[in-house]
Amino acid sequence: MTGDRWAMAHIFSSFNNTVITITDMTGAETIARASGGMIAKADRDESSPYTAMLMATQLAERLKEREITGIHVKVKAAAGRKSRTTAPGAQAAIRAFARAGLRIGRIEDVTPIPHDGTKRPGGKRGRRV
Amino acid sequence: MITQRVKIPLDRIGVLIGHKGIVKEDIEKKSASRITVDSNEGEVYIEGIEGGDPLKTLRVAEVIRAIGRGFSPENAFALLDDDLLLFEVISLDHLSPKALTRVKGRVIGRDGRTRGVIENLANVKISVYGKTISLIGQSHWIRTAHEAIAMLIQGSPHSSVYNFLERKRRAEEEQEKW
Repeated sequence: MTGDRWAMAHIFSSFNNTVITITDMTGAETIARASGGMIAKADRDESSPYTAMLMATQLAERLKEREITGIHVKVKAAAGRKSRTTAPGAQAAIRAFARAGLRIGRIEDVTPIPHDGTKRPGGKRGRRV
Repeated sequence: MITQRVKIPLDRIGVLIGHKGIVKEDIEKKSASRITVDSNEGEVYIEGIEGGDPLKTLRVAEVIRAIGRGFSPENAFALLDDDLLLFEVISLDHLSPKALTRVKGRVIGRDGRTRGVIENLANVKISVYGKTISLIGQSHWIRTAHEAIAMLIQGSPHSSVYNFLERKRRAEEEQEKW
């Protein structure tokens, strides 16, 4: 196979989990997928940078079998009422992809940002403990 | 290659560029990217340089947003050097003007005392600017600080917020022993 073959990595990174889905360039066909629970034992480790790194190195191997040389990355945070900044998992994953020898193309933040959005839970008087 | 667009308040543009452009140059050098500032609109365009570290280009947007949210360039640069640091913005735009000044005052405290206590106990940097409170720190500490600030916004007395922070701090130290 000659030339470059590119794929797309969709990284969803919240504070409770990281999900990486690798698709073809159209985004319609999934090539490989990994989530925090496939590697970490404890629930709280699902979102850790180390788990994300392991996920990315595993995925990179699967991509090499398919002779994919580079990936474009789309990062997404929890969004909605939750945090709009990506958790540390996303960065660790991109790092690990690069270290595994994949070329990184465009990186884009695709966190959906509402123009108005929904109300926070808890009601007018706040959360009463 | 990569182009990103960030909008920052007009008062912060001077800080982003710096005296004779030193701050902007510094960012460009550290992150291998080119920055164009539209000083009439407050728009900042970031362009990655071919062959540079693509992750750094992603982080620059965060650094610029942090400067736009009132952080000093020195504090914002930490985001480029340390991968584990996060930048988070707490929006206060649901508050009325009167409540806004009160809440900002509660978070800052006299001579910045409350802010200082949260910064020290939760290992974060805090900036209160306009209608936002922004934090820079590691993810679990940001959560703690966020919770503490949410308590202050809701109206908890400062003493109980300090107690909460101290409890979290002790729990963290206990965990580190293992």
